[in-house]
Amino acid sequence: MSGHSNWSEWVYIGVVVALLAWVGAEAWNIERLVEHVPEDAKVIKVTGQQWFWTFEHEDGTKETGELHVKKGVPYKLEITAKDVIHSFNIPEYLVLMDAVPGRINTVWFLPVDEGEFPIQCREYCGLIHYNMRGTLYVEDGA
Amino acid sequence: MWRMGLDGKTFDNFPSYENENGESDMVLELQKPRPIWQIMFSTHHTDIGLLYIISSLAFLFMGGVLALVIRVEMFSPGPQFIADSMTYNRIFTVHGTNMIFLFILPFASGVGNYFVPIMVRYKDMAYPKLNAIAFWMIPPAAALIWLGFADFGWYAQPPYSAISAPGPAAEMWIFGLKILGVSSILGAINFVVTILKCKHPDLPLSKVPLLAWSFLSSSLIVLVAIPTFAAALLMLLTDRLGVTGFFNPTMGGDPIAYSHLFWFTFHPEVYVLVIPAIGMMYEIIPRFSRKPIFSHSSGMFAFILLSIVSFASWAHHMYATGMSFTEKTVFMVGTLAAVPASAMHVFNFLATMWGGRAKYSTPMMWSIGGIALFFSAGAGGVVNTAMPLDFITHDSYWVVGHFHLFVFGTIAFGSFGFLYYMFPFITGRMYNELWGKVHFVLIFIGAVLVFFTQHILGLYGMPRRVFDYPEIPEWIAMNQIQAVGAVLLGVGMTIFLVNLIYSSAKGKEANMEDPFGLGGKYYYPYQAKNPHHD
Amino acid sequence: MRNIIGLFMVLSILVILPTVQIVFAAGDEAGEYIDRRVEIWNLFFRMMTVAFVVGAVVSGTLIWLIWRFRESNPKATPTKYEGTGELDR
Repeated sequence: MSGHSNWSEWVYIGVVVALLAWVGAEAWNIERLVEHVPEDAKVIKVTGQQWFWTFEHEDGTKETGELHVKKGVPYKLEITAKDVIHSFNIPEYLVLMDAVPGRINTVWFLPVDEGEFPIQCREYCGLIHYNMRGTLYVEDGA
Repeated sequence: MWRMGLDGKTFDNFPSYENENGESDMVLELQKPRPIWQIMFSTHHTDIGLLYIISSLAFLFMGGVLALVIRVEMFSPGPQFIADSMTYNRIFTVHGTNMIFLFILPFASGVGNYFVPIMVRYKDMAYPKLNAIAFWMIPPAAALIWLGFADFGWYAQPPYSAISAPGPAAEMWIFGLKILGVSSILGAINFVVTILKCKHPDLPLSKVPLLAWSFLSSSLIVLVAIPTFAAALLMLLTDRLGVTGFFNPTMGGDPIAYSHLFWFTFHPEVYVLVIPAIGMMYEIIPRFSRKPIFSHSSGMFAFILLSIVSFASWAHHMYATGMSFTEKTVFMVGTLAAVPASAMHVFNFLATMWGGRAKYSTPMMWSIGGIALFFSAGAGGVVNTAMPLDFITHDSYWVVGHFHLFVFGTIAFGSFGFLYYMFPFITGRMYNELWGKVHFVLIFIGAVLVFFTQHILGLYGMPRRVFDYPEIPEWIAMNQIQAVGAVLLGVGMTIFLVNLIYSSAKGKEANMEDPFGLGGKYYYPYQAKNPHHD
Repeated sequence: MRNIIGLFMVLSILVILPTVQIVFAAGDEAGEYIDRRVEIWNLFFRMMTVAFVVGAVVSGTLIWLIWRFRESNPKATPTKYEGTGELDR
């Protein structure tokens, strides 16, 4: 298996490898930035089950199907599930993390805009997976 | 100077596939059909190859009907004609399972069975009876899958598949896939032994055609990867029966363990799917450019490199499961490492066309369209593998569009092109060239409408495996575009079916020396002849 | 030629600006958190730009090849392999 004597193919492979290295480096850097959880992030426990989401704030307040947060405050979501794998997703905030029974997955985000944002499930979980929805309410914090 | 048997003198012990008149005896002659029992009990590689090809095409059309049902149902929010989500969930599960295991893999096996012995200048596959057994495992497995109609997606992810998915569909699916896994392994053993051990002594491995190399590489992957899934299936079954708790956290298990086992098999498996299709393009593009392949050794090297590196990337499917930053980085690098090998194939094809004198018959159009969509699929894949971008694309329609550009845009395109190319070889007749080109145009446009749109729909946040969706105007518009594309695909495939059947029975007899008018002989010096055929 | 220079400028900016950002980026003190949406979509659009540039090169080459080397092209000449029997392998 020899015979790579063609310079054009080597240049091509060099360009491809350089591009891929750039992709990898950029992705690594942005992921590093995005995964760094701020120390003062407030914890919210998120639990998925067939077929709805429940939330528990730091102060013990519980919510079902709706999540109320304050604008400008970073939140750390600790996500788990009670039965099968679900996936907690707020598409407009690019929050996406599997809810796996038996473990807790963490993701943080910063609500920047006020308003109502849909929450959906992003892992097939059975009959009502398609309608396992909720709403995020971002309110102006005082 | 060593020559590959063009004068018929070099390969003395190679059986002649010509009859007394020097004509080749074709195998599939619909106007004078052979007794059906003769085909069914045959162990000859051409018969088994045909059985694989015809059954895989039947499953292609059945799975295609399911796809059409899905896309029409999704035309707008609210149920169109499917009443409940469980039916819908079953439909997409069987669609996916069927297309991968009952169309793509058997079609490739069929092509391999038919041509690998010819390409290595041997009289049959290494183990003809085992070959027949491997094929005949498919109908019962297919029956289990289709009659069961499971609902958990083709991944069968626990805990849902273990504790929540209704049986007996789930058990039937598990048994069906178990059987198909064994069939794949038996076929892979046959290919590896045939190519490495049964090839003609005067034929060095480095001169074996790239299509045969593609079967060698994909078979090696199968032998390493499939047993892992066999283990996972068994564990899933015992979990369902309540005997074990491998994937059940309440019994100390971990559902993510299944994900690792599954993807350790199925990431390399997607290369098993694509590598033969690339091999088929290696048969078509040089011939129709009237030039040899730019670099045979690059092609071999790229296949072997891909087989090895394909094992380094499986957990890029699992970025959302809560893996650590380091784990994700390792798998991102592993995924990126496989890209240069695929890029080498694209370069090889383009460099082969350069300086050629190309005829754009139907097989060539399919191959070139396939390369274009292969590149798009790969580019989308590079985007997926960038870890932060997974927060956008994971489990959304982007992924659906991405993998369909591979399985449809590359693999099906390469397969259809090769089917048209081998049509005169098998039947002795020509298909209708105009309708072949119409088929290509409809499918290309339909594929772009459906699968490129799905990428954008995913960016807008639509999840996959959903029976219904909220009334978001952009989502509705894109689903409607897809439905139009799907109808085009359906029309194109119907034309294909009619062309295949009609031309097999009544097509014009082909000039077996050179049916495509390229100059030079059509295929290897020896045409296929089935010893049973009178 | 001018197009290639313009292209290289776009591509270098895609590389330089993020690098500058890393060097001068604000830390994560109270009130100064990164917005994941901005970071991630930014990366996405940069990668899309590169992907489409590469795609344009690859598909442009492919289309040119299809056109230039079609057998009906008046400039088409037989390849040096035709008629020699080498294509019959």
